Amino acid sequence: MKFIDPRDKPRDPWHTIDGDDGPMVTLTPNPFSLLTLAQWRGVRAHWPEGMPVGVLLANDVEVTEIAADLSHLSLVALQFPKWVDGRAYSQARVLRSRYRYAGQIRATGEVLVDMLPLLQRTGFDAVAMRADQSREVAERALGFFRGHYQGDALDNRPLFALPPEQRAALTQPSEAEFLNAGASI
Amino acid sequence: MYQYTEFDRQFVHQRAAQFRDQLERHLRGQLPEDDFKALRLQNGWYVQRHAPMLRIAVPYGELNSKQLRALGRIARQYDRGFGHFTTRQNMQFNWIPLDQSADVMDLLASVDMHGIQTSGNCIRNTTSDCFAGVAADEVIDPRPYCEVLRQWSTLHPEFAFLPRKFKIAVTGAVEDRAATAWHDIGLHVIRNDAGEVGFQVRVGGGMGRTPVIGTVIREFLPWQQILVYIEAIVRVYNKHGRRDNAYKARIKILVKAEGQRFIDDVNEEFEHILKDDVDGTAHLIPQAEFDRVNASFVQPAGVHPRAANVPAWQAAGDAPQAFKRWLARNTHAHKVPGYRAVTLSLKRAGQAPGDATGEQLDAAADLADRYSFGEARVSHDQNLVLPWVRESDLFGLWNAARDASFATPNIGLLTDMIACPGGDFCALANARSIPIAAEITERFADLDELDDIGDIDLHISGCINSCGHHHSGHIGILGVDKDGKEWYQISLGGSDGSSLATTAVPGKVIGPSFAADEVADVIEALIDTYRDQRAASERFIDTVKRVGLEPFKTAANATRRSTATAKEATS
Repeated sequence: MKFIDPRDKPRDPWHTIDGDDGPMVTLTPNPFSLLTLAQWRGVRAHWPEGMPVGVLLANDVEVTEIAADLSHLSLVALQFPKWVDGRAYSQARVLRSRYRYAGQIRATGEVLVDMLPLLQRTGFDAVAMRADQSREVAERALGFFRGHYQGDALDNRPLFALPPEQRAALTQPSEAEFLNAGASI
Repeated sequence: MYQYTEFDRQFVHQRAAQFRDQLERHLRGQLPEDDFKALRLQNGWYVQRHAPMLRIAVPYGELNSKQLRALGRIARQYDRGFGHFTTRQNMQFNWIPLDQSADVMDLLASVDMHGIQTSGNCIRNTTSDCFAGVAADEVIDPRPYCEVLRQWSTLHPEFAFLPRKFKIAVTGAVEDRAATAWHDIGLHVIRNDAGEVGFQVRVGGGMGRTPVIGTVIREFLPWQQILVYIEAIVRVYNKHGRRDNAYKARIKILVKAEGQRFIDDVNEEFEHILKDDVDGTAHLIPQAEFDRVNASFVQPAGVHPRAANVPAWQAAGDAPQAFKRWLARNTHAHKVPGYRAVTLSLKRAGQAPGDATGEQLDAAADLADRYSFGEARVSHDQNLVLPWVRESDLFGLWNAARDASFATPNIGLLTDMIACPGGDFCALANARSIPIAAEITERFADLDELDDIGDIDLHISGCINSCGHHHSGHIGILGVDKDGKEWYQISLGGSDGSSLATTAVPGKVIGPSFAADEVADVIEALIDTYRDQRAASERFIDTVKRVGLEPFKTAANATRRSTATAKEATS
């Protein structure tokens, strides 16, 4: 999972194109532009081949709306207007499994540390968390479960489809636990 | 019953550890209540009137004696000595301090239990027939399918934050004892003409402000496809369910608003998953997985059919009258000759419907060990069931059950009522349920009279959230609040869809609300009207259907005292 710090521009070159009254309608192609769907539709016909571009998709828009464009998009940013509004999980899941989208899927909006396991498992690979959230806690949140019942974006196979030895490995004490056990003796 | 694997066991411990981390951050002030709320809800922790309420999942109602004892220990050690069984087969505690909540989750995990998804806007605990696997009228045992569904829905990453809660119920018998038509998804396991097993799928049932009976959207879905089909339903709901108004956010509203378009969307999504998704067929259930799960649901090794010309339980002509009465009401037909399923009644004077003390939970565990291979069930009607009782043991069990006040012979009768905890405990309630239930129980204490009144479903909810299922009661009582006072709306003719009235239907309100002190009189007037009007051996619900609401309304209105002089309170 990639953690995006919006204050750290050099490490994250993506930027929205805003005017005084919101997103600008006419714009000049620039690398790493993160566009609204309307902006993207305005420029997609003449967007230079190979210039990185991303789309910020509202959570009530069907991902089929950008299905044909996915090969041009390096980034799809999905939104959580409230953290308990879970529509973007479905969008991410369909982007990955139905459209085989391989670019970055970024969670934006009210993104909290405790959402991390869900985000990772539905296909997000980058998060821009709410400013008060701790990266350390977020990373810890990813570590509580050794396995899950359903298949997900990390492993398409549900638990029941794993070969027996792989299933058994999920309940073996991990190397880290052995190390810790050794350290405490 | 299902045997936890090492993975299952580790999983609930990991969940308990995750919750402890969240709780500790909350108690340290690093996780504000607004952010913590949805997390604790998905572990079963509400904040209620007196303390947090913990709802513990009892998957499809199955408990073993060890789990019952652990619940008893929680009642004594962390609560004020008692818990409450719900219509969705779960158990609730009302007095556990939040700072001890993580310890309780650890204790639960040690007996393969948890509170995962017992609340919150996610897929809730799957419920089923309390007689699953033993019912004489069962076509297919629904439990293995319930367990597959439990695993699939547990921490499903895409469906943890739906527009609203999402409830699934499954039955495999002729009689629907799980109120499936009242659920967001109601599944009926059936066999088609070719002998294949599949599901009739209903969607969009629910109670609350807008009672709706689920719509059949598939007459027959091969069992292997059920997870994929439910994924399609829940994804369409996640995308299109309303999020602007909590009262209109259940899937029933979407199904009603969209009609055929909703069904088309689901079927289209289903086809897409199977055809287009990289992992589209990954969740088709393989026979081997079904067999693995199903192996947990075999008959206990000691159960052997015992053929007898005269069933042992009917034989004793000189048996005490009270025992005979109990046999008739509290024991149920079994698919294995020589066995009965037995209901331990949690409806008796002096205790709220569905409540059990720590001592009673221990006693139930002892009875389960002694008479039912260590297994018990929670029924939709808020009683406990022992599923594997030898007919020859019934007399001994009856005596033992009496000692723990489990033997009230009232199953299916007026005092075997469904009731939510109401305003005494619940922060959502508009009115109290328990005193109403207590007054009715007191008034109808005469067993001969109860028997004469016969089979009837009385359901009481303390508010429109309908946890007490008032919509589906033959008589429904709904608590409402007006000007800070408790009032009660009475409805008639509802049904949960079980054999007494096979079509699930919401009841009709019979007029303006009644005052709290009038409710027992109203119930008595309704019962008297039935006894006056009934044809020979006609049950209450059938008389209501035949003669209509008018005579009942008239009788109910005649009992008005406070409401006759308080016209402004009518609505």
